[in-house]
Amino acid sequence: MSAAVIIGASHAGVQAAASLRQAGWQEPVILLSAEKDYPYHRPPLSKGYLAGEKDEEQLLLRAPDFYREQGIELRLEDPATSIDPVARKVVTRSGSFGFEKLLIATGSKARPLPLPGAGAQGTFTLRSMMDARALRDGMRQASAAIIIGGGFIGLEFASTAIRHGLDVTVLEAQPRLLSRSLPAALADFIRDRHVSSGVRFRFGDQVAAFEVSGGRVTGVRLGDGQVLAADLVLVGVGGEAETALAQSIGLDLAAGGIHVDGHGQTSRPGIYALGDTAAFHNAYATAPMRLESVQNAVDQAKSAATHIMGGNAPLVAVPWFWTDQYDLKVQMAGLARPGCTEIVRGDPADGAFSVLQLEGDRLVASYTVNRAADHMASRRLISEAPAVNVALASDASVPLLRAVKAAA
Amino acid sequence: MSGSITIRFRKESGQQIEVQARPGISVMEAAVMNNVSGIEAECGGACICATCHVYCDQVTEGVLPEMSGEEDDMLDMASAERRATSRLSCQLRVSDKLENAVFVIPENQF
Ligand SMILES: Cc1cc2nc3c(=O)[nH]c(=O)nc-3n(C[C@H](O)[C@H](O)[C@H](O)COP(=O)(O)OP(=O)(O)OC[C@H]3O[C@@H](n4cnc5c(N)ncnc54)[C@H](O)[C@@H]3O)c2cc1C
Ligand code: FES
Repeated sequence: MSAAVIIGASHAGVQAAASLRQAGWQEPVILLSAEKDYPYHRPPLSKGYLAGEKDEEQLLLRAPDFYREQGIELRLEDPATSIDPVARKVVTRSGSFGFEKLLIATGSKARPLPLPGAGAQGTFTLRSMMDARALRDGMRQASAAIIIGGGFIGLEFASTAIRHGLDVTVLEAQPRLLSRSLPAALADFIRDRHVSSGVRFRFGDQVAAFEVSGGRVTGVRLGDGQVLAADLVLVGVGGEAETALAQSIGLDLAAGGIHVDGHGQTSRPGIYALGDTAAFHNAYATAPMRLESVQNAVDQAKSAATHIMGGNAPLVAVPWFWTDQYDLKVQMAGLARPGCTEIVRGDPADGAFSVLQLEGDRLVASYTVNRAADHMASRRLISEAPAVNVALASDASVPLLRAVKAAA
Repeated sequence: MSGSITIRFRKESGQQIEVQARPGISVMEAAVMNNVSGIEAECGGACICATCHVYCDQVTEGVLPEMSGEEDDMLDMASAERRATSRLSCQLRVSDKLENAVFVIPENQF
């Protein structure tokens, strides 16, 4: 059988199916999902959906009809359970499917915190629609929330929970928020915005256990024995790639993900990995890495589909990502490199500014707060890599695209 | 569907699709829910991808909300040509003012 079988039906898997059809793949496309919901946008789960601004239908990636019309066999609640790479078939809960091409788009899962009391009622992680439904209901009944982990998802939840009148405390093990993903100036700005809305932070504490009474969480016990009370605890300590199937057939791994080349191909020809679960050497990175973003999932999916259909151009895409908290729209482009210099454009006190990171005189990464034009210009400058004029780039009144040195 | 608003999407080829949309959702969401192709909406309405671009020359002047600076900036980066009537459909909310409005979908969004 000459089908394309895709494991995982989210941003990467659905885009791969759509792109294969668009590029003229004539054979069956089987799209396996572990979930029971039609594929949906994940970012709003911690933003508009949680805040009650969007309902589930508004989150759909595609209309249910789309799959039928495109001849994509979407199989909900039919997870892949094993792969036979020699017979080239995937076994699922319901049956087995032969493949010519296999695309692994299994994404990531929330990293668990295996401490005493984990899993008690009132404790949550946030990764799927099911998680979001539970958390949204939980939030409506709760009065005091503790968020373990000051990452993007935890902070987005904090901004929503505090507006819903909950008492909110964020526990961050590191001395600073988001220390691996944001420049200090921006991370501190985001922290201050939360503090001004009433969110409390505790840095550097270890969490020892969940306090539980009658099966319900009542708080969190810290390493020093102190107990913080809460009736809702969100564990937001990051994600890990879902690589179990890939490992079971011996695919090479890198940086915690499935190692792929610039076409998304794994160490076995004809088997691709894409999205959160894949690790590849992005043209803008110094080593293979996983990127957890919609942009990366979509671009890798398109690139894998192109390669399957005979294309040969490797993926070159500037990474970008966003987070929304309160009235802050934070947008990131590119990848930081060691030894970069930093420019700040605009004044954080105005609530709109950008931090630019340069290597020599080339822009490599950009972080903007409420400055969408800078974000879009940065994507261009990172990709085209002209020499940046630092004086002009530091002047927020000069459009960033013009802050380049005249060609020699 | 009671209370729903009729809006139309037209391809540049001239093909027209009529959909029923409930008030409060975005024009982008109305397109996606009704399987109208040509609105990609990669970012799901976060106003950061510009792949939900539409032309609104068929929409009565004054019924669309004012454009935010952010939408304006994003439109500059849209893949199809930006025109005076360009908007991002994720930033337009369906309301009774849009009854029978026609949104033209550009040839490409990437
Ligand atoms: C709450 C939240 C907020 C986010 N906010 C942003 C944001 O603002 N901007 C941004 O760019 N990114 C954001 N992200 C990240 C973004 O959603 C991910 O990068 C993206 O979803 C990755 O897509 P994916 O298809 O690779 O994997 P996933 O979305 O993780 O999907 C993988 C799918 O595969 C399924 N699966 C796993 N194993 C199997 C199996 N054996 N068989 C069948 N199916 C299987 C899973 O159930 C899941 O449905 C956010 C993520 C979360 C959770
Ligand atoms: S959907 Fe991304 S900008 Fe409109």
